[in-house]
Parts: sequence; structure tokens; C-alpha cells
Amino acid sequence: MASAGSGDEKAAAAAMITLISSDNEKFEVTEATATLSQTIRHMIEDGCTDGGVPLPNVTSKILARVIEYCKKHATAAAGEEGSSSSFSDAAFLEVDRAFLEELEEFDDAFLEVDRATLFDLILAANYLDIKGLLNLTCQKVADSVKGKTPEQIREMYNIVNDLTPEEEAEIRRETQWAFE
Amino acid sequence: MASGLPEDILLQIFAVLDVPDLVRAGSVCSAWHGAYTSLCSLGCLKQSQTPCLLYTAKSRGQSAAGLYSLAEKKPYTLALPDPPIRSRYFLGSAYGWIITADERSELHLLNPITGDQIALPSVTTFEHVTPIYDKNGTVEEYSSYCALPGPHGPSTYSLSKLREFFFHKAFLSSDPSTGDYIVVVIHNTYYRLSFARSGDDRWTSLPPQCYFADCIFKDGLMYAVNGFGAIHVFDFSEPVVKQKVILEAKRDYIFERVYVVQTPCGDLMQIWSDVDWELEAVSEESEPDPLEEDDSFSEPDLPSDYEPSRHHCTPFKLFKVDLTANKLVEISSLGENVLFIGQNQTVCLNAQEHPQLKANHIYFTDNDEYAVFARKNMIRDIGVLNLCDNSKEKITSPQIWSNWPSPVWITPNLRKMNSDVGGSTEETARAQAPPSSSWTVVFAHGWSVAFVFLLFSLLMSWFM
Repeated sequence: MASAGSGDEKAAAAAMITLISSDNEKFEVTEATATLSQTIRHMIEDGCTDGGVPLPNVTSKILARVIEYCKKHATAAAGEEGSSSSFSDAAFLEVDRAFLEELEEFDDAFLEVDRATLFDLILAANYLDIKGLLNLTCQKVADSVKGKTPEQIREMYNIVNDLTPEEEAEIRRETQWAFE
Repeated sequence: MASGLPEDILLQIFAVLDVPDLVRAGSVCSAWHGAYTSLCSLGCLKQSQTPCLLYTAKSRGQSAAGLYSLAEKKPYTLALPDPPIRSRYFLGSAYGWIITADERSELHLLNPITGDQIALPSVTTFEHVTPIYDKNGTVEEYSSYCALPGPHGPSTYSLSKLREFFFHKAFLSSDPSTGDYIVVVIHNTYYRLSFARSGDDRWTSLPPQCYFADCIFKDGLMYAVNGFGAIHVFDFSEPVVKQKVILEAKRDYIFERVYVVQTPCGDLMQIWSDVDWELEAVSEESEPDPLEEDDSFSEPDLPSDYEPSRHHCTPFKLFKVDLTANKLVEISSLGENVLFIGQNQTVCLNAQEHPQLKANHIYFTDNDEYAVFARKNMIRDIGVLNLCDNSKEKITSPQIWSNWPSPVWITPNLRKMNSDVGGSTEETARAQAPPSSSWTVVFAHGWSVAFVFLLFSLLMSWFM
């Protein structure tokens, strides 16, 4: 439990879980990786993961990305847990910092996806109840709409404006100041 | 496919947006508008919006305010209800609402984003303010005291003049749109406190008279700091307000400005600063900001050759309040934190949650009371102070605000007022109060005026 590396060994020794995407692709993951999802954690606790966990709301393409995220963050969580006992040790703090930086870089690269994938990742993170991934992806959408007009946001996310002209006029009347 | 995002996810996305972005996102489509509407009625989810500067400018007219977003570095214009915003004084700002005094010296709460407004109990219900009626029975003037009750009794003030001499700063316990709030005002004589709960029809005075300078609300209690650095705590949870001193006076003289604030990790902090009066209009090395076009105010008492002057805040002194040891510990840095000080309820934010703000910086507006209430021609010192090297930056250049009324920091709040505000008698959960034995019941106590108070009062009257 003394170094970030021990998380990997611990994870490797743990039980494997099979996740099944909506298009019937199977993914073998460690329990440590799978339990970043609260939804799957509860299923494991209830002992209903034998024969694989069907995830009818997540495609294989998105599930692969979600697993990629969970693997990285499960390792990080294990590393953090390991080093917390030696908090005063400057060397470990240094390791922690380097690891957090690496994690941040991973997250940034992870979010370099097209808009459709980003929305699908949000839905998957919501369905699987992966708090970190949901926060990360929601923040990405929030950052992307900052300083944008409604038209620019619609274009960016391919959203159809289904507000009636009357509704739109009413909204504008109340909040004209924000559109100048 | 975007409409596939359910409302709880949209709410989570919107919850990290600042108000102008949120308003725009709210008109993208009906699903996004639905989420926006939910947010407006639930209250703003983002725990700490990035503060904006609320100001007026002649070019925007009498009834509009400017809102300068620090996050976007962009000004907006808000149309506001009567009385005209440029005719009011700004006495305080908290939870997205400002507390203003109009030309009859009457107080209002106003949310500039929603346009919601609440009239507060009449100024004539403050202790020591008496209306003087004309022969038709309408209020013509007020009778009251300035900083201290003089030997010659109270003075008379015109309806609009009283606010200059009577009010210092005003505070809110909570977001008024919830319908359950307390307004607290520091006013004369002796910079004392009065309060009104939502639904009250009059102001209730809070002894002791103690040269209060700033207040915050924390865990259901009000912490009021005075000019000597002492902190009094007031518990409003019962009909009779209880108070006790939790920090003794730290000086035997009054600093011109004292602020109290709660840091994001829950500590109390005091900030002291003095004002360095300095005529700079003719200084060669620094060019004064031009006043906004046509923005000079006529002051009949001033000589015609009166030059606008500028004054500076001396570097702020920061203290962590150590209640256990009953002392103030001076600190030189805010670390990751950011301070917003001025006429607003003092705010301390963490820069990590606000990437647009600079850590270890103080965002300040000039709220020296002489500048706010007496010297409209003063060029206001408004900017950002870097505590690493004490260097100052301007918010905008050129200056986009009028010097009057004094610009104020505001934390925008989209929450609309409930239609049944004021009618609610519902008690909200309050933090558990410390043992009652150590509290003083406010109304049962007289207060003796220390010699030093008198001395300060005399000094003040000399200044005025």
C-alpha cells in the first residue's frame, strides 16, 4: 500500500467482470475498474454479475471509451489510497502531483471527441452513475457554451430550435440584456 | 440528438455556468429552456457565481444599470424598475440583491437580474428618525442625528439628505427570494445596528452601540465586527435577539475600514485598511482617469475651482480570527483565495473554483463613506490588488462607470421571488446556538459610551 504502483497489482489480483454492450460486445474488466460505476457496484454487491452485466443503453464504441476512463481513474484511486498513509513524505507528494498532472492530461485528451460522442459519454456516465466522468463531460459542455449565442450553441450541438416564435420573443423580452 | 439529454443532466451542465451564459443557454430549445426555468425557480445551483460589478453610467440613462462580468470581461445593461437606479444610494449587496436608499431615504431590496423588488420598512421607523410633517400632513423633512447626538438635539434633514448622514452599510441574512430573510443596517448614531425580518413593518434597534463596520451571516448567526476589531455575534433564531462578544477589541482606536469574512474553509478573517487621502488631479506622474462624460455633480458647498480628487486604500492588513485564543493572527497571503470587498457583503472565494479570478488578489471598490456619501466628485479607487507585490490593476480602462452611485460587487442570482413572499411564516432550520447562558439578551442591557467613542465622534464631526 505504499506506492502508486501497488494499485495495479491489487487490481490485477481482483475478480474480473464482464460488461456487455447494447450491440452484444463483451468487455472483461477488473472489479476495481467496474466499480467506479455505482450502478455496477450495486449489481456486484447484489451478486447479479454472473454471466456478465448487460448494458442495453451503451454501445460498444462508447463503452470502450468509458472503460478506458475507468481503468485510468481506478489506478489513480488506488494510488491515492496507497499514498495517503504516508502523507508527510515529500517524495510521495511529488509522485502524487506527477500522477495528478498525468491524470489531468489524460482527461483533456479523453475529451477530445466529437460532439455526438461527448453527449453519448454523458448519457453513459449518467446511466452507469460514474460521478467523475459525468462531472468531467458536463463541465466540457458547459465550457463549450460559454460566451456563445443560442444560435451558435444550436449549430455546435445540432440542436433543433423547437421554441415557437412567440415563446422565443417572450424569453427575449424578459432577458434581453444577456443577448446584447 | 441533443434533446436526448435529460433535464437532470442539463441542470448539472447549467449549474456551472455564470448567469449571462445560463440565460443564453436557456433559449436554445424547449428542453434547455425547461431546465433554465427549473433553475430560476429552484435557485441558482452554482454555489458561487463569479461576482460582477454593478454600476450606473449617464449614457445608459436614469433607470438602467451596467453589469460588468469579470468572467467574460464584458459589460451588460439591465433595465430596472423605479425609483430610477441612478437616483439611489447603494448600501449593500448580497445573494444577488442590492439594498438601496431612494430620494426619500427609503430602503428597497432589488434583484437587478430578475427585476424583483421589495420595499423595506419606512426609514421613519428607525429609532431616532422622526418625520416632520407640513401643514397638509405629508412628510416634508426628517429629524435625526448625525454621527452622534449633539448637545443641541437632533438636526433636520431633507428627504433625500438623510440617507447621506444616516446609513452606512446594509446586510442580508439570506436570499430574499425565499421569502425568509433578515435585513441588518449599520446606521447612526454610533454606527449601531438595526434589523427587520421579512414581513416586519418597522426596524428594531440592536444594542450595543458599538461603531460597527461590517457583518456576515454564518451558520445562522450574524458576526458583526466593529472599528476596534471586536466581533459581536447575534442570534436571530428566537423572537428576542441574543448577542455576545466572541472577540474582544484589538485596538484602542478605529481603523477607517474593517471587514469581516468567512473563508471557503469556514475560518473567519478580518481585513483592515486605512485611507490615504491624496490629491492627485494635478499629479504629473499619474494621469487621472477621465470622469465619464458629463459626469460631474454639482455640490453647492464646494468652491467652483474644486478639483476632483482621488484617494487610495493603503495596503490591506489581513488577519485570521483565532477565537480560541481570542486573538487576530496577521497573515500576508490569501493563498488560493480571492476577496471581494467594498459596499457589498464581504466575499471570499476560492480561485480554483473560479478560473477567471486571480488567487491571492483583492477585488475592491472604494466604499469609504466620505466618498460614498459626501464627495460625489471623488474618483473612485476600484480595481484588483495583487497581494504578492501590492500592484494594482484596473477593472476596465477607460472607466465605464459613473462615480455615483458608487459601483458595488454583486453575485448575480436568477432566482425569482415566490409570489407569496412575506406571507410565509415558515421557520427555516437554523444552526444550533451555543449555550444560552453565555448570551446577553439584547434588550435587557444598557450601554455606556466609552471615552474613546466620544473622541472619535468629535473627530468625525470635525471631518464632516
